[in-house]
Amino acid sequence: MRLNTAVIRLLIAKDWQLFQKPLAVCVLAGVVALCFLGLAEPWAFYVGSLLLLIVLISSACFSISTSLVVERKEHTLAFVMSLPVSPLDFTVSKLIGSLLTFGVPFGLMLGGALALVLYTPLPDGLFVYTLLIFGWLLFAYAVSLAVAMSVESEGWATFVMIGSMVLINPYIMGLSQVPVIADRISVDALVWTAPAVGILTTLVVLALVVLGVTTWHHARKPAFY
Amino acid sequence: MDAPAPAERLHAMDHLRALAMLAGVLFHAALAYSPVMRGFFPTADRQTSGWVDAVVWGLHLVRMPLFFFLAGFFAAWVIERRGGTALARQRVRRILVPFVVAWPLVEGSLAASTRWAALNVEHPSALLVAAREWMQRPDRPPLPPTTAHLWFLYYLLLLGVLHWAVRALEWGRGGPWLTSRSPQWLLLGLPLLLTPALASVSAPHPAPEGLLPQFWAIGFYGAFYALGALVHARRDWLERARPLAPWLTAGSATLYAVFLTGLAAAPPSAGNTTASWGLAAVEACLSVWLTVLCLLVGLRLLNRPSPGLRYLSQAAYWTYLVHLPLLFALQYALMDRGWPWPLKLALAVGATLVGSLLTYQLLVRHTPLRRFVG
Repeated sequence: MRLNTAVIRLLIAKDWQLFQKPLAVCVLAGVVALCFLGLAEPWAFYVGSLLLLIVLISSACFSISTSLVVERKEHTLAFVMSLPVSPLDFTVSKLIGSLLTFGVPFGLMLGGALALVLYTPLPDGLFVYTLLIFGWLLFAYAVSLAVAMSVESEGWATFVMIGSMVLINPYIMGLSQVPVIADRISVDALVWTAPAVGILTTLVVLALVVLGVTTWHHARKPAFY
Repeated sequence: MDAPAPAERLHAMDHLRALAMLAGVLFHAALAYSPVMRGFFPTADRQTSGWVDAVVWGLHLVRMPLFFFLAGFFAAWVIERRGGTALARQRVRRILVPFVVAWPLVEGSLAASTRWAALNVEHPSALLVAAREWMQRPDRPPLPPTTAHLWFLYYLLLLGVLHWAVRALEWGRGGPWLTSRSPQWLLLGLPLLLTPALASVSAPHPAPEGLLPQFWAIGFYGAFYALGALVHARRDWLERARPLAPWLTAGSATLYAVFLTGLAAAPPSAGNTTASWGLAAVEACLSVWLTVLCLLVGLRLLNRPSPGLRYLSQAAYWTYLVHLPLLFALQYALMDRGWPWPLKLALAVGATLVGSLLTYQLLVRHTPLRRFVG
């Protein structure tokens, strides 16, 4: 089946345009978080890290709700269906649009956080830990996106979005129970351990599988509903 | 950083921007002979003079604020004529790419010349002595990288992103109201807003060279950037401020004397990392008033085509990028000479400018590099 790339590009541009305001808020909050980290005080590091986490979770939620949940609520889908697009075109545009709106702040913040760990007096042991945190957020985003694309219910989409993001708390607690991960956070050396590599690989692979299965499922649909 | 098209050149602003950047060469060169900076500057010479402090701190208070005002002005100019996307493209081409390319080169060359000076200079500065001791430690920890004098590019990028965010959120609506009021409001109100930022750091305010953004630097330089963008929309604001010029001049002269006295009484030191509120307020008033005065003088004297200034404005960006490694290398070589400091200063500034302009002429002016740093 051939994709209508021209319309797909327009639909992605539409999602990107609609995401401008939430992205602007996330950018402002991200800069404030970095400024807190720049104060080089323990309390400021805590506030800054927490704010970065909030920004990341917010950008994930905004990304999904702007491109999928709100669109459904405002019946934009009916308009989109009137365009020369197939369900696959629509799925691809939603997938790429959402990955773009989430991927830009995610990539910037991941790069920024890793550079921060490597090029400031912070212990380099935080590098792996940071990747593990971001890995969870990627996985939670993939699950949330897959559910939002698959169910009609706004309630379920919101539930999974909040649930998967909130589960980062027990996840962080779980990481602190793994000595080879927890003990290396404050060490000024970048050490990859088998549990850390295993967890990170599992999260990334699961995220890719969830997104792949969702795309495959939607690609097989003969109609929008 | 974004030069207007030749047909619509804003001569005064363009020339002021060039002069602000070139003043950086003089400022960085003069710091080697400043009594205040003796313990903090790597090229600090054995000879110092109070005259240097009397001049350079005034320059310091106005140079970068003026530059960020002009950056905001030109950003608004580009947005008005070519749109936000064009501005973003320009920022990537003219700021991000030069920053990413120049940063490691500048860091590497500064580190190399400082390493050489720490090992070879017979009359080293306090900082070079510390560097020498650090180099002799077998377990020396790595130093965190800094953006050196390229911090202005880092903050221009950051302020460009914040500018976009403010526009996306439509938060700039109060700006035109502010510039439509009497200029006295901003001339008195802006220093009040800037005082907390300047009170959170030492006086004179340091360069925000770290990799992480600083609240005070965003607040301080961001305010001038925002003022520049607002004045672009109300160009008559500066003309309406002109009748206040005598008051600003008298006020600036008085406050500068107060500032120098305060600086002499409480110079920056390891235990004195924040300015008093009073001194910060004086700094804030001086930076705003002197910047506006510079703009008024520039509009009066520089608002006409001038081949010499035009050439300097085209070469200023490149000159600023390359000047510090050249200057440090020269000043390290001059440290052991017993020559009078004015001669050393003149030699260092002259040779740095000649070297920078020569490399501009050879490497940039007629090559594809001019699209990035010309």
